[in-house]
Amino acid sequence: MRKGLFYGLLFTSPAILGFLIFTLGPMIASLALSLTDYNVFKAHASFVGFDNYARLFSGEDDLFYKSLGITFYFVLLRVPAVIIISFVVALLLNMNVKGRAVFRTIIYLPSIVPAVASAMIWMWLLNPDLGLINSALRWLHLPTSNWLYSENSVIPSVVLTTLWGIGGTVIIFLAGLSGIPKQYYEAIEVDGGGWYSKLRHITLPMVTPTIFFNTIMAIIGSFQVFNEAYILTQGGPNNRSLFYVFYLWRTAFRDTEMGYASALAWVLFLIILFFTFIVFRTSKSWVYYEGGERA
Amino acid sequence: MSRQRKSVSILIALLIALVGILSACTKSDSGSGNSGSSGSGNSASPAHTASSASAGEEQSNEPVTLRMTVWGAPEEVAAYKVAIDKFEKKYPNITVKLQHIPTDYDTKLTTMVAGNDEPDIAQMESASIAYPLAEQGKFYNLEDFLSSDPDFNEEELVPNITYSLEPGNVIGLGPGPETFGLFYNEDIFKDAGLTPPPAKASEAWTWDEFVDVAKKLTIDAKGRNAADPAFDPKNIKQYGVNIGTWWGNYSNLIYSNGGDFVSEDGKTFALNQPAAVEAIQKLADLINVYHVAPSPVQAKNIPATNIALQTKKVAMAIDGQWSTAGLAQSKFHFNVGVLPTLKQPMTTVVSGMFSMFKSTKHPKEAWELMKALLDPDAAIDLITAGTWMPAYRSWYTDPALLAKWTENLDSRPSGYKDAVVDVLLNSSHQTPTGYVKNFNKIMDIVNPALDKVWLGQQTAQQALDSIEAKAQAQVQGRRDVKE
Repeated sequence: MRKGLFYGLLFTSPAILGFLIFTLGPMIASLALSLTDYNVFKAHASFVGFDNYARLFSGEDDLFYKSLGITFYFVLLRVPAVIIISFVVALLLNMNVKGRAVFRTIIYLPSIVPAVASAMIWMWLLNPDLGLINSALRWLHLPTSNWLYSENSVIPSVVLTTLWGIGGTVIIFLAGLSGIPKQYYEAIEVDGGGWYSKLRHITLPMVTPTIFFNTIMAIIGSFQVFNEAYILTQGGPNNRSLFYVFYLWRTAFRDTEMGYASALAWVLFLIILFFTFIVFRTSKSWVYYEGGERA
Repeated sequence: MSRQRKSVSILIALLIALVGILSACTKSDSGSGNSGSSGSGNSASPAHTASSASAGEEQSNEPVTLRMTVWGAPEEVAAYKVAIDKFEKKYPNITVKLQHIPTDYDTKLTTMVAGNDEPDIAQMESASIAYPLAEQGKFYNLEDFLSSDPDFNEEELVPNITYSLEPGNVIGLGPGPETFGLFYNEDIFKDAGLTPPPAKASEAWTWDEFVDVAKKLTIDAKGRNAADPAFDPKNIKQYGVNIGTWWGNYSNLIYSNGGDFVSEDGKTFALNQPAAVEAIQKLADLINVYHVAPSPVQAKNIPATNIALQTKKVAMAIDGQWSTAGLAQSKFHFNVGVLPTLKQPMTTVVSGMFSMFKSTKHPKEAWELMKALLDPDAAIDLITAGTWMPAYRSWYTDPALLAKWTENLDSRPSGYKDAVVDVLLNSSHQTPTGYVKNFNKIMDIVNPALDKVWLGQQTAQQALDSIEAKAQAQVQGRRDVKE
């Protein structure tokens, strides 16, 4: 038994050490730094208590509220889109059709394309004058959009580009779907139910744990959106895609205000924690685990 | 059993590797010793040591290693290497470690500073972290070297490549100036039967003349130009001019119109003053009123100046002289004229700089290296290729030296001497990043407002007035006035 524990710890030690050294350590350091006026270029940092947090919420820094609002908007658009679309795609990929493996590969493929490469492709696709999407719309005599270059359409456009990379979420849904015992469906068939009844009464309840997991991951990932702002828009136009983490990064590495940026990071951490907690609390009423018990 | 033992030994090997990686992450003691000595380096004046070194006294031959960080294209790095090779031959005891950081330079350097791991010499950008670092006393005052080194005459440097934190405190020297011109495709003018932009500043186009020509050179898909009442601005095949809407480009016109980013006493935000507003509005009108220039959105389709001119996507382009390097490689007839003038001919000079970190243990050697980098002979390949211009005035005034880099070269068309060289010497203006304090933060507020102007949603006056209070709150004065 003790030997088991030893080997268990040994085998997980890279992960444990990695977490302690590269995640927990820096987190504690940043919590400490968020209480100082640490500026990378200044020789000394002094303790300022909660001044950084007070400055955040005082309204003096209107980019804080702006970036927070933009990020909320992004999360609100993206999380339902990711969950619904990946679920539907997973349902389709779970059907017993010819070439299923090929379709699965096609859906997953974008996930292994480097973020920068896919962002460059999207910049071309969404180019207002030459882009494929606007060209197609023009050909169909439909109204075009300035996509990433207009204040109103930039956030939905960014959401659109991220939906291309849902392969990972789809895979998790597929795993959830394939774990549903066939007998349940057979029971519905015996009772004379159609596809809707199967979906409503078997599939949906059975994948709620997967939906639950994917929702939490999507919330966390969406709050931390950064690449898109960094590569596609640089926060523009008119700061309309100044995502929270992009603003945080700019504060830390361009303006070198590490103390203030650490405070920003902790506020985001608390926000994410809060929403994760909310989802966990509500999960009791809608997530079902096998065996008929509620979680 | 044996299989289990094998996997355990693999795991142990992995762990050892992990520990190795981790220990490589922690810095050796020499770095922190460095930072400790930076305090004492502060008080000891480098001037004396420098002057004694350059007074010809042979230095001790103890081996010295200098670290230097640069950004730039591969050919720029190659030119640095040439300069460094020459330098190392001259000083056999000095080794220069060149670290090329092609992307995210400022982030990388910030991290190095945070880790007390600064290089001895760093290429710095005046628009980003150079001044924040200088304000924290991280750089040597190069004035001490400049004024005491008998081999070096400060007057010899061309105007506007010296960066000062305040008068008398030089924090960086540019290895060469860069200025702006009006580049154009000669064939387009010939085919249209129009006179190309004048090269001499005294003959520069007025704004109206410029707009007229730009209209005639803006062609829609059916071949009509922008002066034609039937002209279709939605289907433009060739734009008259690409203006590039960043501050470097529009600063030329603001200065030409007598405007500025902040007032002369440095106390007031000045971009919403009439002179600056007029200049910005005139540029925006090229896009939204005359339809002769692409908006920032349309400009995403316009390739770099050399390709844009060659493929006749644009007839003229306001761009920096560095674009001659690319133009020289695209084989077509390009030339350069002087920018149109509002009140007086004026172009902005921008340039990177070399700065010396206070933490260096070898200021004398670092200064010698810096001089070697400024030497036009060392960077001659970059200069003849078109990327750079020389830092020394004699290379502009001495006909033999001037010929070396302006004659019989693909990168130097016939208008170059008048439109670029003369303009630099006689009507150039310092970059705003060099004298406007807190420039970054001011522009963080200005740029989003100007987005609306370029897109034609607001006039320059409305947009800049709407942010006046916020921008004014970021104004902290000028570096070129004593307080």
